[in-house]
Amino acid sequence: MASNNSTQSTLDLLVLTILDRRGPLHGYGIANAIQQLSEEALRIEEGSLYPALHRMEESGWITAEWMVTENKRRARVYSLTRTGKKQLEAEAERWTNFSSGVARVLRLA
Amino acid sequence: MSWFSRLKNAVSPRRLDHDLADELRDHLERRAAELRKAGLEPTEAQRQAALRFGNTTLIRESSREIRLWAALESILQDARYAWRGMMKSPAVEVTVILSLSLAIGANTAIYSILDAAMLRPLPIPEPNRLVRLASPGIEQPGSDIPDEREAFNYPMYLDMRKAAGTAVQLALIGYVNRIDASGPENGAPTEKVGQSYLSGDAFQILGVGPALGRVLSPDDDRAPGASPVAVLSYDYWQRRFNGDPHVLGREIYLETHSTNGMYQVVGVARKGFFGVEPGKFVDIWVPAMMYNKEAFTNPGWSWFRIVGRMATGTRPREVKARLQPIFHDYEAGIVKRIPTMPPAIANQFLNAQLRVYSADAGVSDFRRDYSRPLWIILAVAGGIFLIACANVASLLLAKVVSRSGEMAMRISLGAGRLRLIRQLLTESLLLAALAGALGWVLARTLAPLLVHLLSTEGSPVQFALAINSRVLLFCAAVSAVATIFFGLLPAWQAAGVQPMTALRGMTGQASRLRMGRFMVAVQVGFAFCLVAAGAAFLFSLWNLFSVNTGFDARNVVVLDVSSDLRKQDKNAQLAMMKRLQDAVSASPEVEGAAVAPWAIFSGSSWTDQVMVPGKGPSVREEIFYRVSPGYFKTLRTPVLYGHPFDRHDGPDQDPIPTVVNVAFARQYLGGENVVGKTFDRPEGKKRAHHQVVGVVANANYGSLRRGAEPIVYLPNEGASYFSLYIRSPLDVGSVVRTVERATPTVGPGVRVRQITTLSTLVGNTILREKLLADIGGTFAFLGLVLAAIGLFGVLNYAVARRTREIGIRAALGAQRAELVMLVGRDLLAMIGGGLIAGLIGSLALLLAIKSLLFGLKAVDPTVLLTAVGLFFVAGVIAAGFPAGRAASVDPVIALRQE
Repeated sequence: MASNNSTQSTLDLLVLTILDRRGPLHGYGIANAIQQLSEEALRIEEGSLYPALHRMEESGWITAEWMVTENKRRARVYSLTRTGKKQLEAEAERWTNFSSGVARVLRLA
Repeated sequence: MSWFSRLKNAVSPRRLDHDLADELRDHLERRAAELRKAGLEPTEAQRQAALRFGNTTLIRESSREIRLWAALESILQDARYAWRGMMKSPAVEVTVILSLSLAIGANTAIYSILDAAMLRPLPIPEPNRLVRLASPGIEQPGSDIPDEREAFNYPMYLDMRKAAGTAVQLALIGYVNRIDASGPENGAPTEKVGQSYLSGDAFQILGVGPALGRVLSPDDDRAPGASPVAVLSYDYWQRRFNGDPHVLGREIYLETHSTNGMYQVVGVARKGFFGVEPGKFVDIWVPAMMYNKEAFTNPGWSWFRIVGRMATGTRPREVKARLQPIFHDYEAGIVKRIPTMPPAIANQFLNAQLRVYSADAGVSDFRRDYSRPLWIILAVAGGIFLIACANVASLLLAKVVSRSGEMAMRISLGAGRLRLIRQLLTESLLLAALAGALGWVLARTLAPLLVHLLSTEGSPVQFALAINSRVLLFCAAVSAVATIFFGLLPAWQAAGVQPMTALRGMTGQASRLRMGRFMVAVQVGFAFCLVAAGAAFLFSLWNLFSVNTGFDARNVVVLDVSSDLRKQDKNAQLAMMKRLQDAVSASPEVEGAAVAPWAIFSGSSWTDQVMVPGKGPSVREEIFYRVSPGYFKTLRTPVLYGHPFDRHDGPDQDPIPTVVNVAFARQYLGGENVVGKTFDRPEGKKRAHHQVVGVVANANYGSLRRGAEPIVYLPNEGASYFSLYIRSPLDVGSVVRTVERATPTVGPGVRVRQITTLSTLVGNTILREKLLADIGGTFAFLGLVLAAIGLFGVLNYAVARRTREIGIRAALGAQRAELVMLVGRDLLAMIGGGLIAGLIGSLALLLAIKSLLFGLKAVDPTVLLTAVGLFFVAGVIAAGFPAGRAASVDPVIALRQE
């Protein structure tokens, strides 16, 4: 994607990580997982998750499929692709570099 | 998301909207359900869920945009990118599009004619239930294999209808005649129209109704001559009467057998119905009862085809079983009527089996004559298509190599190989689509031209070539095949680029050259077949043209003339014909004039048995031809012995003064100088006596293919319709004016009906061969040029790549000749394989087309040597420039270059 701002890439990183760890999930499940994991630290409007999901889908990082879930409801279930996995590794590395860099600056300044 | 579902999204965004709405609703419902579980009121739970979700509409809109735009964009991006790529090197692209569109256009044009002439079902309901009847041709000993007999007689038709019962309804369908039509008033301008006789129930059997008024009905079948009515074709109605509904009840004059030729228009047939013979459109149908009265009782008078519609579930075999006994009775009747018939021929009649064919695509003489040539031409066009594809593939291959740096860059930046293939295929698709569109336009102009090549004035060929889904599909399919054929290979090649080697500048040249060489070999192979076939067709035509016909066709105008003199008065007619001949001969520019009942090479003939004293009737029937004095002089047929006809020789003398040709003299009278000898011919129960007064050189009568046939010439007799030969150096128009100045003075109502020349008449009998030679020759040339271009491209590239090597060789003292030989060896290696494959292919091809050739052996050394020679020349020309380049490599520059 051409315009990468930090909120967007943070959200991307979260979604990719969750899909990587927990396997295929629908949008609602991803939203819940983000809240649980970040212990409500990241408060986002749940809806804004969806354009992000669709953008990542277009980029080929994740794929979606309509499936019947546990309580017999139809849901659009997302899963990670190989490209997505590579992307996750790259993003994660960038994030670690960035945060350790910031940490060093904070420590040394 | 897959390419396909993107496309689906772009094409139908409504599905996408549903999808999005469903997904968001699902989320909201799940959240509400959980909140309810936590103890909230249902309405409050919904409110909370919506609050946490945010602005639903906005989210849906932005998601929709992402998914929709991405879909469109990726396609547009590919196309845009492809377009930019094309604009970068327009020369290559223009070459590609032109050669492809030529190939696609030629194929589509030929296919559209094939489709209209023999594949497309008739535009009537349930054409698959139609059958046509035919009977085996009767083989004359020593003659060609005869055509099937499709013409039947009226008494047999009536008996067959009775025997058919409910299994099949039989319709009488007359041949399409070109006749004169005009308004009812005297002296109204006439025009030629296509006219056909039909039984009253024919329209009903075919399932064709009226667009206006009525069609023919069984009532029109009641009595001979009793229903002078006419039904117009929709096309003719529009063309001639501008679709005027008041045409009903109008009188028109048709030059037919009816007493006064006046017919009343009673209706117009449904739009799109042109009769049952593709290639010959009918303008006017009239009831069969308006044909000559004698035809309805005389079984010797065969004048129409029979087309039947089977009841549902009936098979052609059952139809045959029902009709065969009647057919046999009538065939046996023929044998009984001709007591002198030789047993070999009588047996053919007695054992003849009626043939019942499916007629869903109608009946056609055109199909009989042209189906093989057209398929061959389509095959030849297919060869051109493959050559063009191979050529384009090697051009694109070269382009891909020049772009391998770009490809390597994209791959190392993470582009998927499939994505690259997709990009390149999009480019090929764009090329093929442009070429296909251009090819379609080309086909629309070429097809009518091709049909025109097959038409003669006397029998124009006409096809429904309107835009048709089958032809469009064919054109699209051909373009698609082209894309795959020429697009996939370069794409594959590009996707296989190894970024490391490519970026270091070592493009995969070796494999590119291998592939290029293979492409060139393919081109050479196909092109060789085309050149061999083209050469064979051209040689055949040449052989036909150089046949010694025994007459000089140049500068001879042939006019058909008619008069109003009563048919019974033969003497008055003969006197008038003599007056006309004299009047025309008197003109200073006329070198000779002669009269005959019909012209040679016009398709008409009279054959009869010959009875030589002391022997029985001949097995073969020979040609008898009535001619006036001056005939041999006008046609420049040499008189070898005795003398030609003069004014005193009349048709009613006994014995009849007769001139025979050498072939006849040798076969029947035992020598060449047979002046004074006599022979007979059967005339009903009696015999007519002939005495030879002159012997002329052999001359062809109706076909250039047939060798010298025995011909008997006898004195002309009176006729109301006859042909006038005029030898004159003047042009046709002036000759016609000379004749028309003379006509009013020689007799009542004498006028010129048809104008042609003897060369045209002769040429019309070899239209098929001309067509094959024209198109075969053109395609052979095209194939040769394409193959030469392919050769040139690859050789030139090879030399460019080896510049350094050549430079080193030159620096080490290699002579120019040796450097040229480098290219020569390359050339030989490339042509060799293709040539061997082509040689085998062309031998098979020549065997397949043998029956269409003339004066050539199946394995004809002239043809093959010509083809090899042409290839040698093309190869030398193609290799000349690269070889020159190799020879002039300057070692210093070459070695510094890289």
